[in-house]
Amino acid sequence: MVQAVNGVSFTIAPGETVALVGESGSGKTTIGRCVLGLVPPTAGSIRFRDREMGRRWNVRSPALRGRMQLVFQEPGESLDPRMPIGRSIAEPLRFGSFDRAARQRRVQEVVQRVNLPLGILDQYPAELSAGQQQRVAIARAIVTEPELLVLDEPTSALDPTARADIIELLVRIQRELGTAYLFISHDLSAVYQVSHRIIVLYLGRILEEGASRAVFRTPRHPYSVGLLSAVLLPSPGLQRETTFVLEGEIPSPIDLPPGCPLATRCPFRIGRCSTGFPAGETVGPQHVVHCFRHEEVAAREQAADTFEEFQRKVQQILAVHEEMTEAEPLGVPTLAEHGQMRRVPGDTER
Amino acid sequence: MRSEAQSLVTRTGIRPCGPGSVGVASAASDPAVINIRDLEVTYRVYGVQPTRALRNVSFRIAPGEILGLVGESGAGKTTLARAIMRVIPLPGRIERGEISFMGADLRAMSEADLGKRRGRDLAMIVANPRGELNPLLRIGVQIATVAEVHLGVSRKRGLEMARDMLHAVAIPDPEQRLRAYPHELSGGMAQRIVIAMALICGPRFVISDDATSGLDVTVQAQVLALLRKLVREQQTSMLYITRDIGVAANFCDRISIIYKGEIVEDAPTGAFFSGPAHPYGNLLFAAFSHDAELRRRWMGNAPAADGDAAKAPCLYAERCFKRQARCLAEHPALREIAAGRLVRCHYPVGR
Repeated sequence: MVQAVNGVSFTIAPGETVALVGESGSGKTTIGRCVLGLVPPTAGSIRFRDREMGRRWNVRSPALRGRMQLVFQEPGESLDPRMPIGRSIAEPLRFGSFDRAARQRRVQEVVQRVNLPLGILDQYPAELSAGQQQRVAIARAIVTEPELLVLDEPTSALDPTARADIIELLVRIQRELGTAYLFISHDLSAVYQVSHRIIVLYLGRILEEGASRAVFRTPRHPYSVGLLSAVLLPSPGLQRETTFVLEGEIPSPIDLPPGCPLATRCPFRIGRCSTGFPAGETVGPQHVVHCFRHEEVAAREQAADTFEEFQRKVQQILAVHEEMTEAEPLGVPTLAEHGQMRRVPGDTER
Repeated sequence: MRSEAQSLVTRTGIRPCGPGSVGVASAASDPAVINIRDLEVTYRVYGVQPTRALRNVSFRIAPGEILGLVGESGAGKTTLARAIMRVIPLPGRIERGEISFMGADLRAMSEADLGKRRGRDLAMIVANPRGELNPLLRIGVQIATVAEVHLGVSRKRGLEMARDMLHAVAIPDPEQRLRAYPHELSGGMAQRIVIAMALICGPRFVISDDATSGLDVTVQAQVLALLRKLVREQQTSMLYITRDIGVAANFCDRISIIYKGEIVEDAPTGAFFSGPAHPYGNLLFAAFSHDAELRRRWMGNAPAADGDAAKAPCLYAERCFKRQARCLAEHPALREIAAGRLVRCHYPVGR
């Protein structure tokens, strides 16, 4: 038996971003699908507003249609290759009470909101870069003005510059429309930037949760510490200092033994870790950790925010003291006029 | 053969030269393991302008050095890796330039000779390790085959070497794992197997093409540490291709930035990460900044890498907020601005 998600409870408030982090196989995507009602839970309940998701209601139910939406990791694969962009974006509106003109207005408005040229509406997904495709996917998701957006690794397949654009776009959309996000990602830099609260998952269990800054600064669970100290930031040697490393890999989720799922890898494990899963203990405002020895972890690990430190470094590097002259006007077409981009053939990164 | 193959895994220094292997004399005349000069690769498609995937690419990699090649998708990173191994798919072709490995000209070498070297002297690790492994064969046999073909050892000896290699890449219970099939392995484990295959012959040069990007961070950290240890022990040189500048910062000795098929900056890792000289190098940092204004200034309107679309002589001018009249009139050359620091820009960022 595979218990993909086990005893997980959390809430998302309107306009809030909750991040699910953890390695592949930790149950992040399953939770996202449960929230949308696409996977009925074996036990427990998921409520969206006043409706019980999963058994009777899911994201396809007429009453909920458009109120919750999903954005996937691979924009190239989540868009119909034979559908022009304009039709893709308008699709979620087909079931609403929109006439043709209203639909068109809505689509144009949303395309502008995600900073794409209107000319893109007649193009096909293959004509766009990955970053533009992801903008289209986001435009399609927000065209119905949903209350909740489930973002499943929305930046992981993108280049650094496209990734930065998408993150900025998501933050802006949330500010403008007040959409709540369930942000599923293993990209901790992105999580640091967008999320208010963070939930650390491992083999379907919540190990730690709390306000994003608090967890990043003072992680209390050995797994959170291991995860944060494994992140390689673009600054040589700037890594979270830690007194231990997590050995091995995430084990198979089939027929898990009782107890803490990390027990096989954890340097802090003691006898009772393999018999019972520790109850949540509050270690700060809204900061909850599931570990018998979290006090020892706290005593050994120093508070440090390497992500914040890296931000200071970037600031320092980019704020070069020189006269910033206006750029010379170009004779070549701008992005908007040019409209489309072609990928260099032979590049097989995705 | 037996005794010399025995210590391959733990040997430090140069592997023994078999017949047809690279001689020590040629190595002495050129200290670089890989020396690439003015390499030009185009993809020609009937009816449209040829795409210049690589333009005048030149660099050298010293023995034991790890060079990080950083760029966005479409910049030509994979094309470069394939050009060195001479496995560019049609319609791509090497138009010009030299690729020399330990003094031997890889472009002029016969396919048969090159075939002997691939996997033995030159190895490549790609992303998607599962795609590299034959799903029908046990992994022990697959690793052993590399040693059998290139070092002429027996199957029995090959399997022993495979077991030692699995031990070296920190796979628990290697004896047992030799009999596993690829589908029984996790992604991180499969990546280690592919690394074991690449390193079993003790190659002088390894290309890693985005090899760790598919792994989880904790596993990635383990695999990188391991790769670094093995590379250092064997004095192997490495071309580490990635778009993750975080990994490049912590893993590579030197950084080369590639943009639209051109090397635009080449610097020691420490120097690059304390302040890039090319505006594009700075843009890569800006992409991580949370300061929207700072980011907007450096990133401007950012089209993706796009073959020959830009008309300006400086390929980056289109995106550059510092561009001047000269950038639209004259193609910048890659020039040295400080010891060991090369930049292709008329107006590098001064510090």
